[in-house]
Amino acid sequence: MAETGTTARRDASLGHACLTYDDPADFDTAARDFLAAGRAAGQRVCYIGTGRPVGWEFTPEVIDVAAQYPTGSVIDPEAGLAVYAAATEQARAEGYTGLCVAADVTELVRTPAQLEAFARYEFLVDRYMRDHPFTAMCAFDRGELGADTTVELACQHPDSVAPFRLYADRPDRSGVALAGELDADTLTWFQHALRRCDLVPAGGELTVDGSGLTFIDHQSLLSLDRYARERDATAVLRTSFSSAGLMARLMKLTGVRVELVA
Amino acid sequence: MRTGAAAGHQGYFHEALPYASGDELLSVVVPFLLDGVAAGEPAVVAFGADNAALVRAALPADSGVEFLSGGDTYARPAGAIRAYRDLLGRRVAAGATQIRIVGELPRPALGRTWDWWARYEAAINHAYDDFPLWSLCAYDTRHTPAAVLADVGRTHPRFIRPGDRHEISPAYTEPRTFLTENRPLLPDPLQEQPPHAELADPTPGQARQAVREAAAGLTAAARDDLVVAVSETVTNAHRYGHPPARLSVWSDADRVVVAVSDAGEGPKDPFAGLLPNQDSAPGGRGLWITYQACDHVASARDASGWTIRMITGELD
Repeated sequence: MAETGTTARRDASLGHACLTYDDPADFDTAARDFLAAGRAAGQRVCYIGTGRPVGWEFTPEVIDVAAQYPTGSVIDPEAGLAVYAAATEQARAEGYTGLCVAADVTELVRTPAQLEAFARYEFLVDRYMRDHPFTAMCAFDRGELGADTTVELACQHPDSVAPFRLYADRPDRSGVALAGELDADTLTWFQHALRRCDLVPAGGELTVDGSGLTFIDHQSLLSLDRYARERDATAVLRTSFSSAGLMARLMKLTGVRVELVA
Repeated sequence: MRTGAAAGHQGYFHEALPYASGDELLSVVVPFLLDGVAAGEPAVVAFGADNAALVRAALPADSGVEFLSGGDTYARPAGAIRAYRDLLGRRVAAGATQIRIVGELPRPALGRTWDWWARYEAAINHAYDDFPLWSLCAYDTRHTPAAVLADVGRTHPRFIRPGDRHEISPAYTEPRTFLTENRPLLPDPLQEQPPHAELADPTPGQARQAVREAAAGLTAAARDDLVVAVSETVTNAHRYGHPPARLSVWSDADRVVVAVSDAGEGPKDPFAGLLPNQDSAPGGRGLWITYQACDHVASARDASGWTIRMITGELD
């Protein structure tokens, strides 16, 4: 079974989806749908994987992942982003509305060093997407990587089935969006994602848009508090989950201020 | 220098004040407060509206006595401990050598939820012992059930009587002993019906979803708080209890009862739920939040393990 954020929810996806699949055929189907939508929107479409899609009613540009990224290579996050930024500009120069990529990047996250670099790269790309016409679906083979690694990556996509999502809500580093449910089972992933998103306070505050947040436990709030205090900042968490305010008050958190929104 | 009966005492001087009339209450409370003011000690009243008005009328104008809202102060035991510890800490930091407080639990606390207020009365012997506090806990013997009065004797080291008489309570029981005693849960009326949902070994997420579905009649804030409580207890059951964990949910239009069980013995810390992170006890902070997120929390052991029950919504 493949799990993806819903490509039907394109507005909510912010153009950055994650697919975790067990059967490679599911990647083929999801990539076709994702790229067909990009093509319909006038984007240049690009398929990155092993092999070549067969039987599609359109022909994307095909890049062999092994040719793009030699086996075992650790991605350089900034350089990786620069490649896509240039490709997006090039697509625009050629008259496309932007660039749309479906990529099976399982080979790029097999080792801890690869995973760490790629997860940082995901945040850079995600932030870039907020004000550039670049959309992407990143696919990971769950059977090859295991559930932990796939969630670790999926939670950094606005459109994924991870229990929670931490992703860019703006092109700069002063804030981030947090959605879904955070509890003891997701704590380690949350701490990793927070570290990787590498926020920089603006006016002493980090903005956390929790409008899609439906639950956060006290341990995750403590992690957010510590993260903000380490940056001499207050994390302003805007959420309709009212108990976040209760917990912050009870624990006398100085690094988190909860603002209740409707 | 502490004054009055607590002079020379270290820490918390905790007395019960049983009374059978307004006059009897005033005969103790008024001199207690005015002596405090005269000695420069903060003197505080945390009574409900009726008895607060009675005391206010008996005091001289601008007496210097402070009044807290008794109903708000005593909404939930863990919250009362937190608020009082904050208040006491501020007063000591401001130079107080003794703080005098008279308080009275609201009438409903003497009913179905008395068990957690009994635990409160026991726990504060420890929780307030960091402070030079002398407090009188008033109980109207015309309305207080005998079983409650028996617990009052076991949780207060002393009684105060009219005429400035101070008596040792012969039934006083060390807090750790009292709090470790097993009190079977008094079944809630909702539990007479089959549960709305029963889950074996639920994940915290599954437990949250079951509670959300059952709690549709609660306000969003009350529902979210109950969801927090249940999520924390299920997390603790998996982390510190013994399998299998079990969740049962009962509900009607405006009340929800949730029981979480596991095959273990429950927390070892006798103050669990009432104080945060006692001796860094495992799961302590989550349980302490749970105790402040529901209208009633109780726990008990039986042959099959340990059960914690959380209730949101008042009985009519």
